[in-house]
Amino acid sequence: MHISDGILSAPVLTAGFIGTVAVAAYTLRKLDLDDIPKVSVITSVFFVASLIHVPIGFSSVHLILNGLVGVVLGMRAFPAIMLGIILQTILFGHGGVTVIGVNTMMLGGGGLLAYGVWQLRHHVNINKKEMIFGGLAGATGIFSSGIVLALSLVTTGEEFIATAGYTLAAHIPVMIVEALVVGACAAFLAKVKPDALAGQLPLTQKSSPVKEKATAANEEASK
Amino acid sequence: MPLDIDRFAHVASPLQRWDPRVKLFTLGIFVFSVALIKTLPIALLAFCTAVFILRQSGLPYDFVASSIKWIIFFLLPFFIIMPLSYPGETAFELIGLPFAWEGLQIATLIFIKAVAIILTTFSMFGTARFDVSMIALQHLKCPKILIQMLLFTYRYTFVFIEEMRRMQIAMRARGFVMKSNIKTMHVMGNFVGTLLVRSFERSERVYKAMLSKGYQGELHSMVRFQSERQDYIKSALVLTAAGLILTLDFSGLFLPAKQAWF
Repeated sequence: MHISDGILSAPVLTAGFIGTVAVAAYTLRKLDLDDIPKVSVITSVFFVASLIHVPIGFSSVHLILNGLVGVVLGMRAFPAIMLGIILQTILFGHGGVTVIGVNTMMLGGGGLLAYGVWQLRHHVNINKKEMIFGGLAGATGIFSSGIVLALSLVTTGEEFIATAGYTLAAHIPVMIVEALVVGACAAFLAKVKPDALAGQLPLTQKSSPVKEKATAANEEASK
Repeated sequence: MPLDIDRFAHVASPLQRWDPRVKLFTLGIFVFSVALIKTLPIALLAFCTAVFILRQSGLPYDFVASSIKWIIFFLLPFFIIMPLSYPGETAFELIGLPFAWEGLQIATLIFIKAVAIILTTFSMFGTARFDVSMIALQHLKCPKILIQMLLFTYRYTFVFIEEMRRMQIAMRARGFVMKSNIKTMHVMGNFVGTLLVRSFERSERVYKAMLSKGYQGELHSMVRFQSERQDYIKSALVLTAAGLILTLDFSGLFLPAKQAWF
């Protein structure tokens, strides 16, 4: 899901670039040295996963997973999504050089919002909250991207209002698919590799018994 | 869709001999000037220029066509939506919907510009090895951290595509068929999750291997660039074309595809 070259007006394109540079500069500053290879390797997984097509009815959609990027990488989702979009531009010519800014704001902003929704899970105490909040985050990623896409079309010109409407409507099935997939994936990761998820609280109460034993043994040994 | 856009980077051509730094800078400016066009005749002129530049690159026709066909497929809906939804005067009714010529003009303009830009992207990045292009971008003051990450992401994309194919074969071997139901979505979620867990472990190993080889946040490259007079002549030609296109477009000799835009 991205907008092509040649549609948007110059002010919208410029706004996209300015916004992207500002947010990217802020989020890139927070990267540590060891984050660089890690974030890049994980970005390539998302890049590959977005090639997966999932059937809906008679047609199929490809996964976008910008919500999941937010769930896994947190604030680092923005530079990761920017990388994905630049790579997509260079390799496929999908979108284009002039719309890198707008597309990054659209999908990367969705990723950041999804991370915000994902973090809300700390305030509730219910069963399967990873699945529920993962699903919400997945839906939020697509929803906000759809809104930004529609807005950038409408601000370009009035004649795009109808197109913007159709595009928004086309996002609804994608939103449902993403919610289901991201929810399942978040639940899976919470079970299998919880530290892969962003914003996990340090496991103070629930630390593993083996580890506790080990630390106790260490303390005794040091005495 | 070819993922390795630099598959034919070895083909000798004027574009391949062009200093990557000068090439990327010049063609980048050309792309932006194409994006600003708003009259149909000039868009066609820009399209012809883009085709001419691509012809100079010596890239095989099939290679470019196989990627272009997807883009064309994505742009086709515009030809239906725009004429039928344009708020201007209607020429005639089409199955009960108003049909406006202005809408069709805009759709054509968008289509020509988009294809011209994509063709130029091939000229930009198809004529040098990917890593050389990236290092050239770094010389053009692109942030170092971004270039490093792009190189990593590109390199591991191929690894994970292989991994994904293997997992898909394993799934098919166990009789999994994709359908549009909740079960499939659940399985796909777990599929992506597994891919992620593996990538986490791999990224851990990659980082340790890099540290042990002395990684301190810098990538060193053996690539050296040298620009000669010929490089600047090519650059001057393309920049003149870009300038001409923009001047003609803004001169008012041709009617814009529509008013109240820009």
